[in-house]
Amino acid sequence: MFVQRRTKRGILASATLAVTALAITAIPAQAFNVHTVDGVNSNTIKLGITIPLTGSAAPGYNKIPSAMTAYFNYVNDNGGVYGRKISLVVKDDAYLPTLAVAKTNELILKDKVFAVVGALGTANHLAVAKSVNLGRRGIPDLFLNTGFSGFADAKKYPTTFSLFPSYVMEAKIMGQYLKENFAGKKLGLIYQADDFGTDALAGFKQAGTTFDVKVSYASGSQSAQTAAGWVSKLKAAGAEVVVMFGVTTASGAALATSAALGYKAQWILGSVGGDATTLKAVGVPAVVLTGAIGASFLPAPTDLTDEYVKFFQGINTKYNGGAVFDNNVLVAMNTAMMTVQALRAAGANPTRAGLVAALESKGSSFASASFSPINYAKGNHVGYNSYWFGAYNSAGELKPVGGSYSLYTTDSGAGAVVKSASKRPALPLNGLPTN
Amino acid sequence: MRSSKVRAALVFIAIGLVLFLVSNRVDELRVYQGAEVAVYVVAISAIVLLTGYSGQISLGHGALMAVGAYAAVLSRNYWHLPIPLTFVAAVLAAALFGAILGVAAGRLTGPYLAGTTLALAVGLPSLANEFGFLGGEQGLTYDVGLPPAWLGADFTQYKWFFWIAALSALLIVWLTYNILGSRYGRSWRASRSNPTSAALAGIHVGRSKVLAFTISSGLAGLAGALLAMTISLVTPSAFPLSLSFAIVTGAVLAGVTLLTGSIVGAIVLVAIPELTGSLAAHLGGSEKVTANLPGLMTSVLLILSVLFFPNGPKLNWRKVKKSSR
Repeated sequence: MFVQRRTKRGILASATLAVTALAITAIPAQAFNVHTVDGVNSNTIKLGITIPLTGSAAPGYNKIPSAMTAYFNYVNDNGGVYGRKISLVVKDDAYLPTLAVAKTNELILKDKVFAVVGALGTANHLAVAKSVNLGRRGIPDLFLNTGFSGFADAKKYPTTFSLFPSYVMEAKIMGQYLKENFAGKKLGLIYQADDFGTDALAGFKQAGTTFDVKVSYASGSQSAQTAAGWVSKLKAAGAEVVVMFGVTTASGAALATSAALGYKAQWILGSVGGDATTLKAVGVPAVVLTGAIGASFLPAPTDLTDEYVKFFQGINTKYNGGAVFDNNVLVAMNTAMMTVQALRAAGANPTRAGLVAALESKGSSFASASFSPINYAKGNHVGYNSYWFGAYNSAGELKPVGGSYSLYTTDSGAGAVVKSASKRPALPLNGLPTN
Repeated sequence: MRSSKVRAALVFIAIGLVLFLVSNRVDELRVYQGAEVAVYVVAISAIVLLTGYSGQISLGHGALMAVGAYAAVLSRNYWHLPIPLTFVAAVLAAALFGAILGVAAGRLTGPYLAGTTLALAVGLPSLANEFGFLGGEQGLTYDVGLPPAWLGADFTQYKWFFWIAALSALLIVWLTYNILGSRYGRSWRASRSNPTSAALAGIHVGRSKVLAFTISSGLAGLAGALLAMTISLVTPSAFPLSLSFAIVTGAVLAGVTLLTGSIVGAIVLVAIPELTGSLAAHLGGSEKVTANLPGLMTSVLLILSVLFFPNGPKLNWRKVKKSSR
């Protein structure tokens, strides 16, 4: 009886499987294959971003998506891009490489975005590049929120475009600045123990900068407790000038903790960890930040004499609920403006390959808030290459050292660091690109 | 006996054939999710074997998966082993680790064993942040390579992942099915149900528990390597505490004493984020809600199934059928 029941069930199972198999083979392989481009229809262009909205690295960066959306909405209200409205799908990766991969998969397979824009984080995006492999899929990967020099390899990452100067460039320029202004002082460095930090070390080596003490921290480990450890190492080595080459939450912890422990040094903050608003938000007293030096490739977000800053502040009030206008918001809106120009350059019937080609051929002429020239060309996917130095005043505003923006320019290789003056394109009329 | 084994083998081959055909017909997202299901099937089979049959609880299988994944990537990076052998390395390393752990586990029961393995799940993956050669939070790249060229230009990377993972899952379920039906499976069940009478019947209870822990760990190691393959990366954040809980939940959901339950459980685990995602989209929830909803749902499901179907809905259903007969 028992045996018979088993046999019956076995036959039933086999029959079901066979029928299922047959049914599936009957479906044509490409049943729903209509010739369109993913993410573009007659009304909209869908873009996607992965960024930390939660977790240890989120403060500050979590303002980027809404600021980008604000500028896109402004453009949408003024006719969009060739009549299409831009929408941005936002995914939280909590600054974890694993999640970045999963969320990018969702963006391209589920949401079917046309391009990924402004993905943040070196380690995160390296994992994405390896696993999701946007390049092999031909999906444009625009204006990364990271300066990792590795992404400059246009052969390896054919669809990836960096906007920021590389961290190697930043470190080389900082090395030059240290040589000019702090020769003979004891130097300290805090850096992140991943490729972000490796880039910094390479740049400082190229610049010939030797530090008396180097402190590294694991990404995600930054806190008041770990920062106490960094400070004690810096103190023991007697560092007088400390370069902070880490994310904002790390520089915040370093500054707040050194103040609490009574350690005084001349701080030099890298562009990644130097946003005054975020530093204040994570508990750095204004008095500690005052006098610290920061490097930037964009105008100071508080500089209302700058036409770009003034325009973006207006957008921020009208379309972004008047969020505190800081470097993150400025970066985000600048990225959004670059994106609109890239989409326009790709033409009225954009394709992914067309977008990449348009950036290579026309990207260098785009209007952008940075004082740095844009260096896009065939085979060169890194945008900016210049920095200026400022000092934070008591209100947390970064004011150019010497009163006016003075640019240092270099490359990611062995090229020298030179002072340069580059003419920035004027803001398009009403901030609406017509390229 | 022999003919039933042949039939079982045929069923497995048929399932494999169906999976193969399906993978050619569905879109890439489903293929990728299929690979995830396959990884969970292997991990949940490890729990079924350990908890359902040998009666030992582990809340630390996520850590054992991490051991397997790191073994795979390190054997690849340092010894340049071919990819299939890195999977073997993952199994062996995790099994060795599990054997050592099993000796300790054999002396612990119930909440003490759960606590010990839980500590492992919390602590072990973050060790990677302490040793430079383990790559820290950024992790180590684990690249199984592009699909072979003869599969054609349209053959995607994710389909390749799916094939590898699904084949492994089928082999593992087949293997586990046979182990559980063997002398070892019977002695595990005997020791679980009544250790004293099992010992009187000549079963070395301690040894049999360690053996179960070792095999289960080896399976978890393989699952870890497969998981690393699907994200091309080995990093501590790929093996969070929630992973350990998720696979236990997956095992309990469909009945921890049933091997077929591992497949149902795996599908549920992959389906939950998908469901919550569209749910949150309908409710107009923010990305923050979407991110936390799957965890909530998994936990609720675990509580509900323990409350109402302690042996899994399927076994309960069998009981209902039996009593009505």
